Amino acid sequence: MTHLRLEGLTRRFPGAAHPAVDGVSLQLPKGALLALLGPSGCGKTTTLRMIAGLEVPDGGRVLVAGQDVTALPPHRRNMGVVFQSYALFPHMTAAANVAFGLEMRGIGRAERRARVDEALALVGLSDLALRKPRQLSGGQQQRVALARALAIRPDLLLLDEPLSALDAKLREGVRDEIRALQQRVGATTVFVTHDQTEALAMADLVAVMNEGRVEQLGAPEEVFERPATRFVATFVGRAARLPGKVEGPGVVRCGEVALRFSPSPVHGGGPGWGDAAGTTVELFIRPHHIRPLVEGQPADNVLDAQVLRRTFTGDVVALECATPAGTLLAELHGGTRGASAAVGSRLRLGFAAQDVRVFPA
Amino acid sequence: MRRSAILAAFTALGIAAAAPALAQGGQMTLQAYAGIFRDNYTEVVVNPFTARSGTQVQYFDGGTSAQMLGRLRAQKADPQTDVVIMDVTTAAVACAEGLVERIDASTLPVIGQLGEMAREAGGACGPAVTYDHLVMVYDTRAVQPAPTRWAAMWDPAQRGRVAVSAPPNIQGLALTAILAKAASGDWRNINAAMPRLRELAPNVQTFTPNPDGYTLILNDQVRFATGWNARAQLYSDQSQGRIGVVLPEEGTAFQINTINVVANAKNRAQALAFVAHALSAEAQKAFTERMFYGPTNPNAQVSQAALNRTALAPQFRERIVGVNWDEMVRLRESWNQRWRREVIAASGR
Amino acid sequence: MNAALLLLPAVLILAAGFLYPVALLGRISLNRTSDIGAMEPDLTLATFEKVVGDDFTWELAWNTATLAAGSALAATALALPVVLLIRAAPPRWRGLLSLMAIAPLLVSGTARIVGWLAILGDQGLINAALEGLGLATEPLRLINNLTGVRIGLTESLMPYACLVLIAGLGRLDPRLEEAAATLGATRTKTFLRVTLPLAAPALLAAFLLTFVLGVSAFITPRLMGGGRVFVIATEIFDLALETVDWPAAAALAMLLLGALAVALVLRTALTRSARA
Repeated sequence: MTHLRLEGLTRRFPGAAHPAVDGVSLQLPKGALLALLGPSGCGKTTTLRMIAGLEVPDGGRVLVAGQDVTALPPHRRNMGVVFQSYALFPHMTAAANVAFGLEMRGIGRAERRARVDEALALVGLSDLALRKPRQLSGGQQQRVALARALAIRPDLLLLDEPLSALDAKLREGVRDEIRALQQRVGATTVFVTHDQTEALAMADLVAVMNEGRVEQLGAPEEVFERPATRFVATFVGRAARLPGKVEGPGVVRCGEVALRFSPSPVHGGGPGWGDAAGTTVELFIRPHHIRPLVEGQPADNVLDAQVLRRTFTGDVVALECATPAGTLLAELHGGTRGASAAVGSRLRLGFAAQDVRVFPA
Repeated sequence: MRRSAILAAFTALGIAAAAPALAQGGQMTLQAYAGIFRDNYTEVVVNPFTARSGTQVQYFDGGTSAQMLGRLRAQKADPQTDVVIMDVTTAAVACAEGLVERIDASTLPVIGQLGEMAREAGGACGPAVTYDHLVMVYDTRAVQPAPTRWAAMWDPAQRGRVAVSAPPNIQGLALTAILAKAASGDWRNINAAMPRLRELAPNVQTFTPNPDGYTLILNDQVRFATGWNARAQLYSDQSQGRIGVVLPEEGTAFQINTINVVANAKNRAQALAFVAHALSAEAQKAFTERMFYGPTNPNAQVSQAALNRTALAPQFRERIVGVNWDEMVRLRESWNQRWRREVIAASGR
Repeated sequence: MNAALLLLPAVLILAAGFLYPVALLGRISLNRTSDIGAMEPDLTLATFEKVVGDDFTWELAWNTATLAAGSALAATALALPVVLLIRAAPPRWRGLLSLMAIAPLLVSGTARIVGWLAILGDQGLINAALEGLGLATEPLRLINNLTGVRIGLTESLMPYACLVLIAGLGRLDPRLEEAAATLGATRTKTFLRVTLPLAAPALLAAFLLTFVLGVSAFITPRLMGGGRVFVIATEIFDLALETVDWPAAAALAMLLLGALAVALVLRTALTRSARA
């Protein structure tokens, strides 16, 4: 059941050449977590702020549970927002911060106290209820902000880059905590991030945004494995990018070799576009889709390669290889075949036609 | 010509003290009021002196008398001015503090020519050089017929249309003395003046006219103000009669400026010569005719027209309240307090 | 060593421009004044005794403190909405608006008072309007009295209050107000519960600065008070430049300086204990 619906949401800042948000439409089922993923300036935060009512759209609508809230001021929207800087009230204790929203709703003292305790317990901060924000660590502040947003039992939970202010070490743990918490309370959540790992790890749905538009909306796996546009393919995950020219249906010439790919509607230009010989295209091949082959082992695409650079990062060995089609990056798990190849050694690399993404250049 | 020849002979005999007027050439600095006083004094007193003696006179804008006194105090060890013209009350302080020279007719024979009041005004130090007197100034466009009495300022129709300088400003002290004299016959009797001043209070727009009462009239802020005759006469002329000047029937009081040689002046000879010139009948006549300050040298043959615009005209003589400023200074503090508590506080604005 | 050397010019300027005159003033305050007003060299506290023992001095102190406190309070209160508006304006307008708020500092005090005269005078803009609209037969007395001084002083202190508040509120994260709004607070509630408490240190700083400036204000009480407003600064002026009683003027000035110094020390101690 759709809980949040955005219809053609648009925001144009005065004096700016392009709209910050340009006709964003999407739907989010109740209880789901949507990640708005994109580079800085892509309009993801502005979109979040329009959902919260902190920014007035120039066009489009925001509907929550079927109700059009576009014209409502933020204080009448019942949305819990966690800001990037947390925006905790520095002159109030953690408990008072959490109680603030309840107080504004005219909830009586006794119930207020119970709900504050509950919210703080939820984030594991019951002991620190009487601390001021500046007496709390970054992670603790973040959890107070979360408790404050959840205490009002919001129709929507909105998180603006909630992890960006944390240490890299903390981030993964907090990420999983937030996800667990969100699932436990069943809050329909919109989450803004520029970090694809965060988006992919936490979200039920990922909306990849660029220049104010949604490039692709889908489940994390879908977005990762089947990027709909060249931008998504570039932004989400890593890939070797090879320039080429279509030779015929499912065949592209890259440098000296012909490579095979499976045309599909998600490949940018629509059905059948890749059949036109002579079209200039760009091929995307993800490092983990490339495998070293033993002598005589078949694959849709096979390339002779010479190792240019080898980077050992623990679990994974990254090999940068020169091939007749161009430079490819292969990622192999330690201990697997080929992982021990030295710089200068020769390999045969193979990959499937279905793993090759082709986009018009 | 002949006189200077005689003086030259005295000098030649070595009687320097008796021959200050002869000091030839050199330079000196005069410290006195700025503005129109400076313009007119320079033209009719300073320039003729320079022409005759060859002495260059620097005219230093002294500001108010109090500022001049301050400068004398600050420069006591190393005076930068040689002659100072300032109000008699301030000059008395300078005299008492030894900031100006003690002087009498034996040093400067011209002092012998002056009237008694002029000689006494300066005490042991320099004598009076100008007489001025308190006048009522009014807006001739707004007030008709021409008023003749201070009482015109009491008219209830003039509510908020009067500017009076309150004590410690000497205009306020003079007005108080005049009202006291009119009411009781004794200018010192402040109790007699207070009821009248309290009645005036509601009509008063300001007790500190800024920059002065004449300007407030010209700017349509008030219709009546207290003022000093000399400046009032000039403003009257300059405003083509817009400002009317009255020497009221109830009386007036003198404001006296004295002229002094600064103690340890660097150019003492030139300074004495200048003082002698300033007190001479000729300079006194010229300045009276130019700016209507009363002459302190009775030998000055002032034109009747000019004289009529000073308090020294025969028809005004009996209106002059003989305020002794030496005494006034001692009364000042208590008068000041009574004004604040009884007049200004009652002005109800 | 190097740091001390760098401070030297500032120390010299302070010594020449402040300490030396104050020392001179202190010395003058120990002199005596004769009955005709002549200053007699002495080393006596008699002038201080006279000044402190005079009821009028305490009346002046009360007038000065209440006038300064009232005007500082009004200036700070009026500056707050101005600064909040500047803060809410689009960033590219903020510089210009801030400049406009403090622009009155560029106008001389006297020129400003001439302007006020045209507005507040008995025949000024306001009274002409009231009369024209038939709302008043007698002019409202808005100048040459305490009301006029309050208006003028408030206006002259406002740029300083704005300056302090612009600096102080500039550090206030606008996200805090947004957070309050998302939690259900109306604009009024947000202002009362979040903006105001967080602006309190800046408001206090603005009040204290304008209060100190108000206490030492001379031009406005002198030129807009019509001789009806007696504060310490005007009294010092009268003593120094009308009755030429320098020892009394100096003693009063020293007492005022002492009171301000005590206030400053108290304030510093207060903020320090508040921080601890």
